[in-house]
Amino acid sequence: MAGLSQAKPRSLLDIMNRRRLYGLLTTFFIVVQLIWIGTPIVMTVLWSLVNPDYPWSFPSMFPEKLSWAQWVYVFKYTNIIRALETSYAIAPCAVLLSFLLSLPTAYVLGRKKIPGKKFFMMIVLLPIIMPGMVVALFLSRVFQAFGLAQSFLGLVLAHTLMGLPYMIRVLTTSFEAIPQDIIDAAENLGANTFVKIRDIFLPMVRPGLLAGMVFAFTTSIEEFNLTFIIGTPTFETIPTILYSFLGYNFIRTNASVVALIMMIPNIVMLFAVERFLKSDYLSASLGKL
Amino acid sequence: MERKNVSAVHYLLLVPGVGFILLFIGSSIFLTVTQSVGLFSITGKSQFTLENWNIVFHEKESLDSILFSMKMGLLSSIGTLLFAFPVALFLRKGGSGKRFLASLIKIPLFIPALVAAFLIINLISFHGIINETLMALHIIKSPLRMLNDKFGWGVVAIQVWKNIPFVLLILSGSLASIRDDTVDAARNLGAGAFSILFRIYIPLAMPAILVSMILMFIKAFGDFAITSVAGPTYPPSIALRMRNTATMFQQWDKAAVLGVIIILTTLFVTWIYSRLAEFVTGGE
Repeated sequence: MAGLSQAKPRSLLDIMNRRRLYGLLTTFFIVVQLIWIGTPIVMTVLWSLVNPDYPWSFPSMFPEKLSWAQWVYVFKYTNIIRALETSYAIAPCAVLLSFLLSLPTAYVLGRKKIPGKKFFMMIVLLPIIMPGMVVALFLSRVFQAFGLAQSFLGLVLAHTLMGLPYMIRVLTTSFEAIPQDIIDAAENLGANTFVKIRDIFLPMVRPGLLAGMVFAFTTSIEEFNLTFIIGTPTFETIPTILYSFLGYNFIRTNASVVALIMMIPNIVMLFAVERFLKSDYLSASLGKL
Repeated sequence: MERKNVSAVHYLLLVPGVGFILLFIGSSIFLTVTQSVGLFSITGKSQFTLENWNIVFHEKESLDSILFSMKMGLLSSIGTLLFAFPVALFLRKGGSGKRFLASLIKIPLFIPALVAAFLIINLISFHGIINETLMALHIIKSPLRMLNDKFGWGVVAIQVWKNIPFVLLILSGSLASIRDDTVDAARNLGAGAFSILFRIYIPLAMPAILVSMILMFIKAFGDFAITSVAGPTYPPSIALRMRNTATMFQQWDKAAVLGVIIILTTLFVTWIYSRLAEFVTGGE
């Protein structure tokens, strides 16, 4: 009898209960996430709006008066604008360079059967696997020997290096996903290499390309180790300026402003490109070493 | 299938991407290794010597740093997994509100590590909101020291907060590829929720679990920035000690030894992963 009762189809009530449970769980997770991610961000916003004449200190839970004074101060008296310019000048250059470098490589890795493919896929991951500070310190020696240390070009090359793994891996996955039939059909109809690239490869890898570009861009914006060793003190990017506010001269209000400046464009970008960032890209490109 | 000269062209096409990475990473590793044994030295004369290795292994401070970094790597990878796996499992099946939940969870992925460090510092500082709340609820009498604490919990908290979405993305891709038929078949044969979790979901997601743990360990083990703003005053993480040795004390050869230790640990952990992955997937 026990076996029979197990095989019995679930009653309608069961299914409805189950659905309600899932709904409750979803709400629970959303509330937890809102607290988990919202609290730190709200606190930082509050800190960045503290009025310097009415200091926010223990035991008040909220600042007495809010003002933009901290924002004005940071923009007026620190190097933040120069750092913003440097950061947003390096990132597009690094993204473009890593795109140009990875296109032929990803094409071969994704579409051709070559001996040692696994080995090359592993090499590609080295910038992510190798500890950042070791690479930064000793790459700076190499850069010094070639006159690249403390130069804009050196920083672009360093940021390209960090973006390449994402770019190559994601593009390789996209190239792999193109059905051979389409390429055969195009060749049959007399398409030459140029037409194939323009009409098949580029349109079909575009979603992957966008995902790769987003990863390379955010990697460049938040890159710290290499910039810190190779670029300072000549070049300051937003991460290195934030580091100086968090380090020996810890000023919470200023750091809040800089943190928000760094964070807001990234979160805006997240929601702008959300649909390109399906989990399969990162998973497919980094899911195995 | 392909003619031989075509294959040569293929290797040539690999040069821009793979060559670029090999050139820069290779040259920096080469310099690290040679300088650690006294060759190509910047300070002093260049000759083969193991003296710096000897010094590092007899220094209590260096060993403390190595152990501390290993502890951080291990705790961060376990902590992130414990938080991310249940969520990934929950998000496997679609449902109302889950799309919103999924994009909400992804936010820290786009928050730079240093900013994440600062966000969490605000919460766990001496008069931060966590201490204030706990005091208001009369759970603790005096504020807890969570920032720059001796053990390094502050660092672990930051690593976990920042990296949950990263691990989640890797895990959910792998969980999504598990076919519903498999789960239904198990349920049909009388498997309960627990045996489905331990005999289907976890084994089938094992390669992804291992990869995410390895990447997390490497990240937290070689970390410089987060430990230097939120870590204990002593010991510094191994990357922090290496950088100070090199740029503050100008002992580049000794720093190179620490660098080699970091690289070797990283390679060792990656090697263990590949063996484990072979074991799990049956050598495929």
